[in-house]
Amino acid sequence: MSENKNILIEFRHVDKEFNKPEEGVYQVVGDLNIQVRENEFLVLFGPGQCGKSTILNMIAGFEMPTSGEIICGGKRVEKPGPERGMVFQNTALFPWLTVMGNVEYGPKMQGVKKAERRERAQKYIDLVGLQGFENSFPVKLSGGMQQRVGIARAYCNEPLVMLLDEPFGHLDAQTRYMMQDELTRIWQAEKRTVIFVTNNIEEAVYLADRILVLRNCPTGVKAEYEINLPRPRNYTDPEFLRLRREIDAVVDHTL
Amino acid sequence: MKNKQTAKMSKFLIISVLSVCAGILAWWIVTDVLELFRSNVLPSPVKVMQTFMKKWVETKPDGATLLQHLFASLKVALGGYLIGAAIGIPLGIFMAWNDKIDMLVRPVFDLVRTIPGVAWTSVMVTLVGIGYMSKALVIFISAMVAMVINSYSGIKQTKTVHLWVGQTFGASNWELLTKVAIPSALPMIFTGLDVALGSAWTTLVAAELLASTRGLGFMIQQARGIFRLDIVIVGMVVIAITGAILSTIIRKIGNKIVKGGRLG
Amino acid sequence: MRAFEKNKRLILGAVGIFVFLCIWYIATKSTTLGKVMPDPVTVFGGFFTAFVEPIGTKTMTMHILISLRRMLVPYAIGGFTGVLIGILMGWYKVADAIFMPYIQMLRPIPPIAWIPLSIIWFGFDEGSKYFLIFLACFFTIALTTYNGVHSVDETLVRASRMLGANDRQLFMTIVLPTTVPYIFSGLQVALGSAWATIVAAEMIRSSEGVGWLIVRGQDIGNMTQIMIGIVAIALTGLLITTLMRVLENKLCAWTVRGK
Repeated sequence: MSENKNILIEFRHVDKEFNKPEEGVYQVVGDLNIQVRENEFLVLFGPGQCGKSTILNMIAGFEMPTSGEIICGGKRVEKPGPERGMVFQNTALFPWLTVMGNVEYGPKMQGVKKAERRERAQKYIDLVGLQGFENSFPVKLSGGMQQRVGIARAYCNEPLVMLLDEPFGHLDAQTRYMMQDELTRIWQAEKRTVIFVTNNIEEAVYLADRILVLRNCPTGVKAEYEINLPRPRNYTDPEFLRLRREIDAVVDHTL
Repeated sequence: MKNKQTAKMSKFLIISVLSVCAGILAWWIVTDVLELFRSNVLPSPVKVMQTFMKKWVETKPDGATLLQHLFASLKVALGGYLIGAAIGIPLGIFMAWNDKIDMLVRPVFDLVRTIPGVAWTSVMVTLVGIGYMSKALVIFISAMVAMVINSYSGIKQTKTVHLWVGQTFGASNWELLTKVAIPSALPMIFTGLDVALGSAWTTLVAAELLASTRGLGFMIQQARGIFRLDIVIVGMVVIAITGAILSTIIRKIGNKIVKGGRLG
Repeated sequence: MRAFEKNKRLILGAVGIFVFLCIWYIATKSTTLGKVMPDPVTVFGGFFTAFVEPIGTKTMTMHILISLRRMLVPYAIGGFTGVLIGILMGWYKVADAIFMPYIQMLRPIPPIAWIPLSIIWFGFDEGSKYFLIFLACFFTIALTTYNGVHSVDETLVRASRMLGANDRQLFMTIVLPTTVPYIFSGLQVALGSAWATIVAAEMIRSSEGVGWLIVRGQDIGNMTQIMIGIVAIALTGLLITTLMRVLENKLCAWTVRGK
């Protein structure tokens, strides 16, 4: 149904192995083939340590596939680059920079002139709702606000794809719900391709255009769901609950 | 991947070895080969090595063999150190555990600890004269100060949660101290023992330079007077190695004990 | 309530110092200790008198200033080279491999044990004193800087790479800011040991300075002068370490958690 949409990222037969000192070779990802469409909200959903983050790290260029290749925007991924923005679980904000300093970091590294990058950064600070906190240091912000800075920072580099690695994993439940709404709002205002990793079913169904359910190591795609519910979504909607149950049934529940 | 990493590691190890060899070679060339420095300014590595071997049996020029000097130094250092630890550890624990005592004694202690160990040498020599007693007292003070600081902060860093756990089980104040606070302070106490040993050993060298008739510090001071730099360097090397060995021993003991005694 | 607690600490502290001075006073006045040890009134009186009446050829102000200069020159050199070598070793593995063995070999030698060599190499003048104090601070600063470079958070490095930083930018914007607090703690520790080494340095022939007061006091058997020297060292030491801490809090504001 969406074959006509452009493919932005493609995994071609990707394998990833780690060398562990005691256990020897350990296969995390096996023959993975994924296609990510432009401007879709893709959620990678899977149990505990199933290698979701490894997939994200490979797209970001922090880790390289043992074999196979990843194509992003027509080019093979070989190292981290500004066209692939990442939001980290532990925020990874630069503690010695203010909110403004963090958000304008990317354009600054690219040599964008001060006035221009300030303007751009301000736009994204406003977008994530942090106006008034431009000169605060990250330690003074709450967890939710810190993650907003993380999102603005990644957005400000105007990447082709946003990679979010369990960004709300450390937040309390209430803040988490709020941030999910915020992320939906931000994404609808500034459409980007988003790849979102989570181990929370509700979060997956609430956010995604499409969910890839991953199996345990070696990770591969176990099932795929298109979520066509209108936004904003409702956690208690019968259709929402039905999808939630359906996905829950296919997940590996082994510990 | 794994092989690549070990290959990289050994590459840097080779660079390190080469670096040291180059250093010694350069030392040898400027002394023995080019004779840019005379042996009363910089003795050659060969000369230092020979002296090191000979000094174990030779008493010239300072009246004792290397071993006798070493033992004289060790006797003083360990004596003062052990008494310093025996008093310093309980004192530090006591200061940290009792708030009133802490507030009363801490400022005095903070003032006293800014006085460098060497300065105490002058005080003690003037008080009790040159000899075993003055040196042991100086080392006692510098070891004790290091011990108090570390066991004090060890106790102060006890996790409140651990104390609460103890209290919910109905532990008395004394039990809290001996069963919770002291075990959790053990790593810091052992750090203190290591640091104290370092400062005891340093202070000893100072005391022997200033006021002594035997010991490694005395040996290098005497050798300097007659421009026997080979003996000076041998002395420095022995001082450094002995200090390193003692510190390793303390750390080994500490690792053994702390592993068994640490709170979960 | 909290203000009361704070005052309580201050009051008890003052009481503690007062009690200490009283014990010292009584011990020297009523026992045989008084024969060799001057009482606190004499010592502190002597200390303050020395600001107007010179001991040796100089007043106390000059003794302190001269010792401070003797400490600060090699401290600045040691700080500069220490930070430089530390960063070099932390950032380039080759530099690490070349320099680390030397640092590991030379560091266990107490600075004081260098006195005989430094006298022969640099003479009895300022050179040998500078050398000693340089040794007392160089290794500490180099190693803490090195540890600072190595303590860089891997996810911050990733974040910086992800945002498009090259090697030079990564170093300037991530590695350096991470290292600054380490450099400061190294500088602070080194300042303490540099000041403690001043006595040792002034054991080498000198005719002024706070260390000289002590060494000279020992030579002429003048306990009061030794104690005056000790008071001068302790108070000046307290002053400079406090100044350093204030400076650190100002410059590394972002490390302060809270509120």
